[in-house]
Amino acid sequence: MTTSSELNMPEIAMAEKEAGKWGMVIDQDICTGCQACVAACAMENNIAFVGEEDSGYGRAMHWIRIERFWEGEYPEVKMTNQQPMMCQQCGSAPCEPVCPAFATVHSMAESLNLQVYNRCVGTRYCANNCPYQVRAFNWRDYKRPEPLPNQLNPDVTVRRVGVMEKCTFCIQRIFKAQDQAKAEGREVMDGEFTTACAQACPASAIVFGRVDDPQSLVSQLKERSGGKTHLKELGTLPNVTYFNGG
Amino acid sequence: MANAKQKAEAHHDHHGHGEEHFRQKHLMLDPLPRGRMNEMVMESMLEKPTWKFWVVAGFLSFIVVYFLFYKWGVLIANGQGEAGVMRPDYWGIFLVNTVFWIGISHAGTFISAILRVFRAEFRRPFTRAAELMTTFGLVQAGFSIFMHLGRVWLAYWLMPYPNQRMLWPNLHSPLTWDLLAITTYLLSSTMYLFLPLIPDMAMARDRSTGWRKTFYKTLALGFRGTEGEWAHLRNAMNIFAFAIIPVMFSVHTIVSWDFAAAMRPGWHSTIFGPYFIVGALHSGMGAAVLVLAVIRGTMKHMDYFIRAEHFDAIGKLMLIISMAWAYFFFNDYMVQWYGGDMWTKIMLHYHEYGPLNWMWFGMLFCNVVLPWAILWNPKWRSTPWLVGFVGIAINIGMWFERYIIVPISVTINRMPFTWRQYEPGIEVPMGIGTVALFILLYMIASKLIPLIPVWEVQEGQMAHELKKFGRETVVSVSELE
Amino acid sequence: MSEQFSRRDFLKLAGLGAATTAVLTGCGPASRYVTREPYQEMPEYNYVGQSTYYATTCRECAAGCGLVVRTYQGRAIKTEGNASHPLNLGKTCARGQATLHGLYNPDRVQGPSNGDWDAAIQLVADALKNNKPDEIAFLMGMAPDHLFDLVTDMANATGMNAPVRYGALGMFEARATLSKAAEALFGQAGLPFFDVGGAQVVLSFGANFLETWLSPVSYTRGFAGLREAKTKMRGKLIQFEARMSATGGKADEWIPLRPGTEALVALAIGRLAAEIRGGSMPRAFSSVDPLDVAARSGIKLEALEHIAEMVAHSSGVLAIPGGAALGQSNGQAVAEAVLALNAFADNLGKPGGVYLSALAPSQSDYSRPASAREMQEFVEKMASGAFKVLFVHGVNPVFELPASLGFKDALGSVEQVISFATFPDETAAEADFVFPDHHGLESWGYQRVVTGTSLPVLSGAQPVVSPYYNTRATADVLIAAAQIAGGAFAEALPYTDEVEFLQTKVSALMNEADGSFSALDAATFMAYFQQHGGWWKNTDSRLAPASSILNSNIDAAEAEFAGEGEFFLVPFVSPTLAEAGANKPWLQELPDPTTTVMWNTWVEINPETAHELGIESDDVVRVISEVGEVEAAVYLYPAIRPDTIAIPFGQGHTAYGRYAENRGANPANLLSVHFNASGDLAFAGMKVKVEKTGVKRPLSRLEGLGVYGGEGIELH
Repeated sequence: MTTSSELNMPEIAMAEKEAGKWGMVIDQDICTGCQACVAACAMENNIAFVGEEDSGYGRAMHWIRIERFWEGEYPEVKMTNQQPMMCQQCGSAPCEPVCPAFATVHSMAESLNLQVYNRCVGTRYCANNCPYQVRAFNWRDYKRPEPLPNQLNPDVTVRRVGVMEKCTFCIQRIFKAQDQAKAEGREVMDGEFTTACAQACPASAIVFGRVDDPQSLVSQLKERSGGKTHLKELGTLPNVTYFNGG
Repeated sequence: MANAKQKAEAHHDHHGHGEEHFRQKHLMLDPLPRGRMNEMVMESMLEKPTWKFWVVAGFLSFIVVYFLFYKWGVLIANGQGEAGVMRPDYWGIFLVNTVFWIGISHAGTFISAILRVFRAEFRRPFTRAAELMTTFGLVQAGFSIFMHLGRVWLAYWLMPYPNQRMLWPNLHSPLTWDLLAITTYLLSSTMYLFLPLIPDMAMARDRSTGWRKTFYKTLALGFRGTEGEWAHLRNAMNIFAFAIIPVMFSVHTIVSWDFAAAMRPGWHSTIFGPYFIVGALHSGMGAAVLVLAVIRGTMKHMDYFIRAEHFDAIGKLMLIISMAWAYFFFNDYMVQWYGGDMWTKIMLHYHEYGPLNWMWFGMLFCNVVLPWAILWNPKWRSTPWLVGFVGIAINIGMWFERYIIVPISVTINRMPFTWRQYEPGIEVPMGIGTVALFILLYMIASKLIPLIPVWEVQEGQMAHELKKFGRETVVSVSELE
Repeated sequence: MSEQFSRRDFLKLAGLGAATTAVLTGCGPASRYVTREPYQEMPEYNYVGQSTYYATTCRECAAGCGLVVRTYQGRAIKTEGNASHPLNLGKTCARGQATLHGLYNPDRVQGPSNGDWDAAIQLVADALKNNKPDEIAFLMGMAPDHLFDLVTDMANATGMNAPVRYGALGMFEARATLSKAAEALFGQAGLPFFDVGGAQVVLSFGANFLETWLSPVSYTRGFAGLREAKTKMRGKLIQFEARMSATGGKADEWIPLRPGTEALVALAIGRLAAEIRGGSMPRAFSSVDPLDVAARSGIKLEALEHIAEMVAHSSGVLAIPGGAALGQSNGQAVAEAVLALNAFADNLGKPGGVYLSALAPSQSDYSRPASAREMQEFVEKMASGAFKVLFVHGVNPVFELPASLGFKDALGSVEQVISFATFPDETAAEADFVFPDHHGLESWGYQRVVTGTSLPVLSGAQPVVSPYYNTRATADVLIAAAQIAGGAFAEALPYTDEVEFLQTKVSALMNEADGSFSALDAATFMAYFQQHGGWWKNTDSRLAPASSILNSNIDAAEAEFAGEGEFFLVPFVSPTLAEAGANKPWLQELPDPTTTVMWNTWVEINPETAHELGIESDDVVRVISEVGEVEAAVYLYPAIRPDTIAIPFGQGHTAYGRYAENRGANPANLLSVHFNASGDLAFAGMKVKVEKTGVKRPLSRLEGLGVYGGEGIELH
């Protein structure tokens, strides 16, 4: 398997008609909103914490957030099923064509939306055009006092002020597993590795894997009835499928 | 070619008014000796600045240095967190100001190029003032968009330049189009400003000494006023006047595509191109009339060059543009509302009932109600301060419009969990800084270059004359070219 | 190269002569980050560029989940669950993930407060030697770990006071009540284990088992089993509580009831179900009048009947009594009434039912943490001067105990207070000496898994990184001090160090049958123990209780409430911070699952009530109980009874490092000293007053304006 991520420029804005490569299935019915995925993501991906004031003003850097809504009024009030939102790794991503600097590009090899941190100049157009609102911008140089930087994951870039970032489907884990498999002369096996959020989830509400492999767990879960992708009407071809209850 | 408008007016006014009345009213029919006129323009420029001028200039300089440049340093050092932007309002007042200043800059080209192409004679004394607005406004727009960038020190990456890694800007992105369009517009409008300036520079060169002489000599490019030079200049200006019009239309259309090409509710509207252009003209005309009122009120001899007739003419234009804007606003609203998209509906609802609905109503009042109420009356629209006031109101209203399109609309997206209201931060002082810089540039320009294109006025006056047909006094304009 | 000399700096210098532009880019803020350590400081056991993984045990709460920690060049990078550990099967909660922010917390205690470990050990030895054994007391954290065993051995040998274990989580879970009820019902003390995963209908009476209760990771897995219809129908969760917890938020039916009526409601459901099912009425349910219960609890009779219908007709009914329901004056009765429902559903010892948790290997009987009443006795002894030396480890009682218990004042009556705190917490601030223990990821140990799995588990811990600061294992300090003190102390701890102690204890398991691994010699066994992250038996060792509760009378009087005021107070443990998470910045930045508030304390008030009182969102209110008051901003919470307010526990530290200090308010300051029959604090039995302060302080929330749904949004 060749994994050279070749960027074919004119095709970037065009919709990919075929299914993606990596995908996720999220069962909202068993998601408890415990935030383990959020913490795991932060630890894996060197996400900065922003403090009380900024986090309360929409500047929290979470790559995955758990949404919940209220329905009805007391006493018939209902908290809707939690809805973890992260980058949906769209097949036809609205964020990609609008970046003037090519910092938001599509990986043809992995069918992922890439964010090239060191190419980003911070126009924030991608975030504006993301209908899922899952992009996080480095509004400041958020400090990690010593010795907290010891924890930083060496496989993930530490982002600096003025740069957009977002969920990568833990691409460093994908590459690590692929390198390992290649060294051993085999294909990556289903379940051999998973993203930090899926790994942590105590309810196993998040399942990650190859959606182009019909045998994988994620493909089989995806085939169940009742799954939906968010904002399907926009034609973004997201690779995260949600199951909500029942 | 006869000027139909003035002819009609002349016809209207003929009872009880003689030639004297025409001369008082119309600059074109009230010629002074060319030497005297040149002298007046030179005096208006060389007049020793009063203490008021210095106070205002000092105050503006302080604002520019502190609010614009110092705060910009703070912004760069600390990041965009200093501004009010956040999720979901990734774009804020910086973008509002960018669109606003580009809008202002439109009046210059509109007045100068379009009115020149259509030979609207009333344009003659204030084309320069309007063109300066274009250039100075674009400077502010450029500043505003650079303020907005998260890593402004890398802004050159947006430009196509040869590099080893073969990295190019993304031509799919409306922002790249935008950058190219604005750059083109800035360059072409600066050239278009400069061409009609050459004869005036030559005029000033011949009437000044010392460093000014050197300055004007350099800028006059050795212009002597020969027939050949005039012919070349006219040709160049004609080409530019025609060529810059599509540039002007394209610039604001492309600015509108920054929004219209995005898939956000409230932005994704096909009418945005013309809507933005009309909006730009609306605010631009408002700004132009305000500038004229100020120039007329503050500078020597300007009451000769800028007269009530000009306010009357621009007032009519403003009224028409206001109507056009109202139409496009209504059209845009209807199309969005009728589209039936849930999110767009919520967004429209948020405009009208949200916490900033006063801005929405304020926009309609300033952009439609006030101009319609005042400008329909010929007497009122001939009153400089009143038209100037309407100009201010329109600009406030148009700023509101952009504010509604950017941070307010962006509050509502398809992920209700993230809806959040924008609270401006450092953008406010920095925005004030751009206004101060705009005024300051104008003040400096008023001391350096003739704000009145005196040769154009003289040319117009040569072409106009009053003729008597029986008891009727009639204006006739001869074809110059 | 020095530590601050970065790779980019080097490149910058190297390229200085070549290209000016390169230097300009190099001057940007990018140059701050990448720092390189000199090779001579590289820790041992590491290959360059390769990660090393260590199995250990999570110390963030007492559940004892297994972790596998990824380390890279001597630094701990990421914690993940140990997939083979029977308790958590590879999963963790948010606190387990954020434990690294404890390890590398900028505000750790960096060395012994007297500056010298030899002197510190001498000081501990003197304290042991120069005081009578019964004047020495140990206060420890909730986890039944190796240190607890070590101190217990010491106490048994010398006549020293037995170590007391306490934690705020235990108080808010009302563990004493649970185990007392189990003892009364099943004739055996222990923690009941509720098999949520196997059940069909779960009635939870205030049990926040998806948040912090007993063993949240394990119970969350159970919840997923309840919901995920693999071999059965999708199970239902019905939650009875006055304030919707995160668990209640997941319930299919959330039923707000008047606090204090949980026992009555449980019995009424039992009675109605028994009526539906027919046959003789169990004695436990016979005296209750459903109509009266409906009136008192505020639940409609139809709703009770509807639930009773389910209980009567479904198989796999499970009822769980939770913390807030038990932490009331009638908590014991609540526990009994709820367990009676289980007996009625005939699920005792059956899949989807109630068991007694398996005892850990080498454990003879269940030892629970101290109840609040036992802590009161402890504090009284401190105050009376009965203790001359107090050692505190793994717990922060000044913060975690209700202020009204007077622990802080009583500390003054103890001659010598020695804290082994890793972080500069409130108790350490009051202590005479702080001899910091390692962080959990730097230390050896083992921990018994108390509940949450069917297998008996001894979870193993080992250092995954070398200690970052000049800290020392408390076990090592005690062993060394005991050697110096001599006599019975030296005899009780005849070890060279902590590791030898562990080896002795762990290798005793070598002879046990049916283990997850076996070895022929102690060294190999210990190596396996480290490698696997513990040792466990392979067979289900939960006890299946039998009970005659249905035939006994249950005195289900309504709970009594202390204090004057119009509001019931529901203090609950913050699901993300729990009792000790406030100093970890990423835990602070995690939104609360129900309110999405970060970084602060809030008061939940029903919007209707708030409107009547003229209180708006983010208004700071003063909550006044009979013993204290706290101030916090209001969160208008749509899912709370109008006569109830709720405050999360976890913030309000006056010490504990920069991220925790002076942030939020501590509802423990509101709690007055009233106990239930089991000795647990009646923490949910308070009535409080609410006063406006006129101050507004916006809460940091993740949620935006649109959380009440799409079109019908209130925009003002």
